[in-house]
Amino acid sequence: MGQEEDLELYRSRLLESLNGRSSRYLRDASDPIQVYVNERRVGELEGTGIGAMLRVQCVDHIDTVQLRTEEGTLLGGLVAPEHGFRTDRLRLSFDAIELCVHNTAQGGMLSALFIPAPGFWSRAWKSIAETVDRLVPHRLDAALAYGMRSVAFTQALLAVAVVGLVADRVTTWTWMTPEPTPSPVVQTASLPASPPVETARLGQQLDEVARIQAKIGEALASQQNGIVQLHQAVAKLSSTQESVVSSVVMVKEEVKEELEKRLEAVGREADRTTRHVASKGRVEQEQLEAAIHSLTADNDRLSKEVAGLEENNQALKTKLQAANASKAVDPNPDRLLARQTDASRQPLQLADSLPGSQQQPFLFWVTFSEGTSQESIDQWVNGMKGHKGAVNEGWQEVRIVPPPVPPDRFLEQIRGEKIVKAARISQ
Amino acid sequence: MSVTRMQNTVGKSQTMSDRTATASRLEEVVSTPDEFDQVVLQALPMLLDRATGSTKRFLRETGQWNDDIEHEKFALRWGSEYLERFLVCGRTEVPCRPLFLFDSLVAKQHSKPEPFCYHPDLLRPLGRFLDGLAARAVISRDALIALYHHVYGWGPGEVIAVTGLNGLESQRIYKNFRRWRDAGWQRTMDEMGLTKAELAELGSQQQRHRQRFNSEAEQLIRVAQAHYRKSEPNHYPCLSRSQWGEMFTQGYGCDYRIWHLALCLDCMQTAWGLGSNGSAIGEKPRLELQVRP
Ligand SMILES: [Zn+2]
Ligand SMILES: [Zn+2]
Repeated sequence: MGQEEDLELYRSRLLESLNGRSSRYLRDASDPIQVYVNERRVGELEGTGIGAMLRVQCVDHIDTVQLRTEEGTLLGGLVAPEHGFRTDRLRLSFDAIELCVHNTAQGGMLSALFIPAPGFWSRAWKSIAETVDRLVPHRLDAALAYGMRSVAFTQALLAVAVVGLVADRVTTWTWMTPEPTPSPVVQTASLPASPPVETARLGQQLDEVARIQAKIGEALASQQNGIVQLHQAVAKLSSTQESVVSSVVMVKEEVKEELEKRLEAVGREADRTTRHVASKGRVEQEQLEAAIHSLTADNDRLSKEVAGLEENNQALKTKLQAANASKAVDPNPDRLLARQTDASRQPLQLADSLPGSQQQPFLFWVTFSEGTSQESIDQWVNGMKGHKGAVNEGWQEVRIVPPPVPPDRFLEQIRGEKIVKAARISQ
Repeated sequence: MSVTRMQNTVGKSQTMSDRTATASRLEEVVSTPDEFDQVVLQALPMLLDRATGSTKRFLRETGQWNDDIEHEKFALRWGSEYLERFLVCGRTEVPCRPLFLFDSLVAKQHSKPEPFCYHPDLLRPLGRFLDGLAARAVISRDALIALYHHVYGWGPGEVIAVTGLNGLESQRIYKNFRRWRDAGWQRTMDEMGLTKAELAELGSQQQRHRQRFNSEAEQLIRVAQAHYRKSEPNHYPCLSRSQWGEMFTQGYGCDYRIWHLALCLDCMQTAWGLGSNGSAIGEKPRLELQVRP
């Protein structure tokens, strides 16, 4: 094979691989996602867990963030601005990763949060709704309307499930009770004796409640979404608010752990009772009542705890809003500065067609004419809204918003400046 | 050249060549990620040539260029690497002018100290093979684990013993090996532009002149390892035997062990025998370069 052909083959193979990038990718869901900052590996993000999170603090600014599979496939990434925030949500087939970078004079901070596929939650909700639907058809809408908010939803469903069980039982035994109105309040008052078949059925329903609870455990993590939004809001504030982020995350962890613990305990209790039903074939009415009672009591306690945590969250939100309000006065001192320099002398007509957009800075090197004062250099750089970078053998690095003209033409313009001796793009 | 295979020309002027149309579309502002994808994917050949061109220019300016196919391939490889990063990161930069964003991204890469591992000997097939393995190890855990196989000829069990991993981590090693054999190796060879003939030639050198082959490989792999070790997390440095020993016995630094020992011949000698609970493990490992996965 000739060398030309060899090279052309190589080139077309590289193009093919670039072209097929998106279609080729299929992540093994159990594999962690490798996180790179400034093209250096900094850690992994569990790709299965609910709310897996990685926080990275860097001494240097964070220029780039990249996410890769274990095979090395580049899944996504972002380029961060030199100062300030950049957030982005990267879709990974069904799941997503929320990236947030904050660069300050002290260095960079990255937080990466794994968010499972929305289908995961809708599936969980659907099966809960279906079960509830079977138990209390007439109460479903109200239950959903009531519970649509964060943690309260879980609570409502748990309560509804228990209520449904009682309501069902009440209707079953209407022949015994004169008033068949099912009360929304769980009644644990003494119940009429029932035939063993009915008791077994009750046991079955209790089992169902236990299963619902398992599902609720999964659903708990849906509060994640709220937390993510909160985090984004927090991210928009300055780094002094970082402590708020960590306490929000902490609260999230607390809620999750606590609820999981509770539900596990409740589930175990229900499970035990059900097994008891199965082995004995019949069960004491009191025992069932006790089980229902303990479920309710647990539920009550849970409600109180969640309410407390909710309150806590609310307080944090208020704190956040206050912080936001104080920030609103001066949302971006940098931009203010830029606007001021706008009015001053502008040696170059740099189109400002993309205000506020966080572009990758354009980087070039210049040397200045003999005897140019530092002051006029600074003035010149400021006039372009540029930033000075390193100095290397007399060459000054300058970063600016990408010019609207091709780099070569831009360099020509620069070279036309009085104080500029030479200009080039690479170091 | 396949530059002219554009499906949706800008249309205004039929006489305008497609290439010019593509280029001018790239100079306009795109405002959504989807628009970015669309515009950029139509211009891949042009962008690849552009990145390759500026890499060539950089190599020339820094006295690392020669007019031969090896250097052409080297420039193409890095051009494609930059283009891949641009495809992924650029879409988060909207609104932007893709062409200028791309140019500044490439310029930024070249403004780094030692943007790539350049050594004339690393451009020949054996060097390209080793450079490719080490470069890939930096971005792929599969390739990192595969380094143990290619350098020492070990299988998953030996890797686990040498690095002193626990059960959970061990499962991952088997997976890494399997994926590397299934696709990772071939993909890396393709991306390095190693042809079937070149790989066959490496294989026969390994058979016929084992010693010369291995000692040549050792020199080259040291060059590559020293360069790519800089990409390790927090510059995990080389350690003394007692420091390694502490890490092994106390069971921490799992990542450190896996990363550093794969990319450092010397520390592999230093830390030898610490992994398998102090039991005798035989002679210190020698480099036995494997071409096939
Ligand atoms: Zn943040
Ligand atoms: Zn070392």
